[in-house]
Amino acid sequence: MNERPNVVIDVANLTKTYASGELQVQALRGLTFTINRGEYVAIMGPSGSGKSTLMNVLGCLDRATTGTYKLDGIDVSQLDDNQLAEIRLKKLGFVFQGFNLLARTDALRNVTLPLFYAGMPAKERERRALERLTEVGIGERARHKPTELSGGEQQRVAIARALVNDPAVLLADEPTGNLDSKTSSEILGLFDRLSASGRTIIVVTHDEGVAKHSRRILRMLDGVIISDAPAGAPV
Amino acid sequence: MFAYFIEAFRVLLANRTRSILTVIGLVVGVATIVSVQVAAQGMAGAVSGIFKGTNANTFFVFPKASQGNVVRAALKLSDLALVQQSVPGVASVIPFSRAPSIVDAGHQRVRLRFGGESDKRFSTSPLVAGRTLDADDIARATPVCVISDNALTRLFPNAASPGSVIGTSIYVGSKRYVIVGVFGKTKIDTAALGLDISNDVAIPWTTFYNNYQRGSSFFGISVLAEQGADLKKIEKQTQALLAQAHGAQYQYFDFGFFAQTINGFFNIVGLIVGAVGAISLVVAGIGIMNIMLVSVTERTREIGIRKAIGARRSQVLLQFFIESLLLSAFGCITGMLLGVALGEIVDRGFIARISGVTGGIPWLEAIVIAVGFATIVTVVFGTYPAYRAAKLDPIQALRYE
Ligand SMILES: Nc1ncnc2c1ncn2[C@@H]1O[C@H](COP(=O)(O)OP(=O)(O)O)[C@@H](O)[C@H]1O
Ligand SMILES: [Mg+2]
Repeated sequence: MNERPNVVIDVANLTKTYASGELQVQALRGLTFTINRGEYVAIMGPSGSGKSTLMNVLGCLDRATTGTYKLDGIDVSQLDDNQLAEIRLKKLGFVFQGFNLLARTDALRNVTLPLFYAGMPAKERERRALERLTEVGIGERARHKPTELSGGEQQRVAIARALVNDPAVLLADEPTGNLDSKTSSEILGLFDRLSASGRTIIVVTHDEGVAKHSRRILRMLDGVIISDAPAGAPV
Repeated sequence: MFAYFIEAFRVLLANRTRSILTVIGLVVGVATIVSVQVAAQGMAGAVSGIFKGTNANTFFVFPKASQGNVVRAALKLSDLALVQQSVPGVASVIPFSRAPSIVDAGHQRVRLRFGGESDKRFSTSPLVAGRTLDADDIARATPVCVISDNALTRLFPNAASPGSVIGTSIYVGSKRYVIVGVFGKTKIDTAALGLDISNDVAIPWTTFYNNYQRGSSFFGISVLAEQGADLKKIEKQTQALLAQAHGAQYQYFDFGFFAQTINGFFNIVGLIVGAVGAISLVVAGIGIMNIMLVSVTERTREIGIRKAIGARRSQVLLQFFIESLLLSAFGCITGMLLGVALGEIVDRGFIARISGVTGGIPWLEAIVIAVGFATIVTVVFGTYPAYRAAKLDPIQALRYE
């Protein structure tokens, strides 16, 4: 019943208002856009413009105040916490600036985590996790703990984990923010490869160099989108 | 579900030190209760063991040691006959001597003591040769004796066997006693109680009385009821009889009374330990809850990651709940084993040495206590931290440093 099978993210009149005491902060003020399957989109904007808020809503970690959000054909605006958890598990993969791996847990088991919550048998979990780790180029480091891995390697583990459940969308929030430039370009190379293989990727960044790797840039200011243009177009 | 146990196990193993510190309170609490349980079981076995070989149809009468009472209440030879003849159902009445005499037999010192038919009933030592003193020995005040193991080896260092000394005589001063029986090593380590009976030489109490204590009073008497007689009734009648004859007061004891007293004592110990255990349970539980809460706070970010990845509330709740469960199960099982070990040390090293009876390990009670504790601690104190973890907001949890 999906009229536009190519559309994976469909956002209409999305607003988010934070109420902290008397003060009301309108972090998102009516966003409308769609993202197609296979697109590689960068979201840019100065600090406080609402990028993280949008990321949280798109990532189903938070609910919009008003407006609708359809992810992969499902209206997720009205779902409860458990249903949102289910969506995150099945449809989304997160890559964070700070990697967010479980510290005392080796790479392989970090990657199996989403499959664990999906109720997959242990053997199958490990097989798939190893596959993903190999895909992102650190299969041979599977038994190392995060503390024994470099930043770049940790981020690769995080990417493997985000991909292990075959998500509809890969969300990355400043994925290279904690990495040196050489490692950054390796990670961006990996994103390019994933994009080329058909992954839908949304990256939040303030770095034009990172945004350049994407095909489309959404620029935000004060909770609204001020520009939506292919990467490389004049600002 | 099984996967959660493995996951929880891994988390606890990864945080070994914290896990162990968490359960120490529980280990101590359970170990205390279980060890007392085991020891008490051993004691109960010992008490019934001590009284099993003896005739429960016996009670003891001693004059009350109060002013003015002592002289009037003194029990004499005539009292034995009085009780024996006037109280129906009495089989025999045997006196206790004021003090056993340390005497020289040959070149060795031995302890000469009152012997009676009662030896058969009270003896904690097995007869290894010959016979015990009998009613005839008592009635006729025969010059015979039954010697104990240590007396045997000291008096007859070259004896081939206990049986070989039967029929030979020992001399105490000018008196000669023919050995009719030999007692083996005592089952109860009475030396540990400060009463060494291994050097005893028992002669019929009538012989003893005639030879050494003629006319003196007794320390007390023991009254043996006939089989099937009502001991309490006989006790009452004896009481009335002696009170009337002497115008004095006496104390009465029977084995039931001893057993009751000892068991009563252990019941009280059990109650106190139970109360201490209950308190330690609460303390241990709060300890676990506290550390689980700290753990939840410490692991806020981890919980955030798990939720962001797609863990449902119930899954996070289950994980933390199972961690609590494993912790308390570990603590309770360790405490149980430790408690059984401690209880056994007390049991074997002390109680069994005195009583000669070893009670089995009460595994069932120990397991019930341990499982009960684990369940209570987990349910009462593990739920809240798990709930706290489950309701964390993923965004805030991820931001937590
Ligand atoms: N939990 C919150 N409570 C109140 N205000 C918030 C909260 N999160 C973000 N904001 C506010 O919303 C606005 C957008 O923030 P954010 O989405 O973090 O922007 P960005 O990620 O682009 O820096 C800011 O003014 C910020 O102060
Ligand atoms: Mg931000």
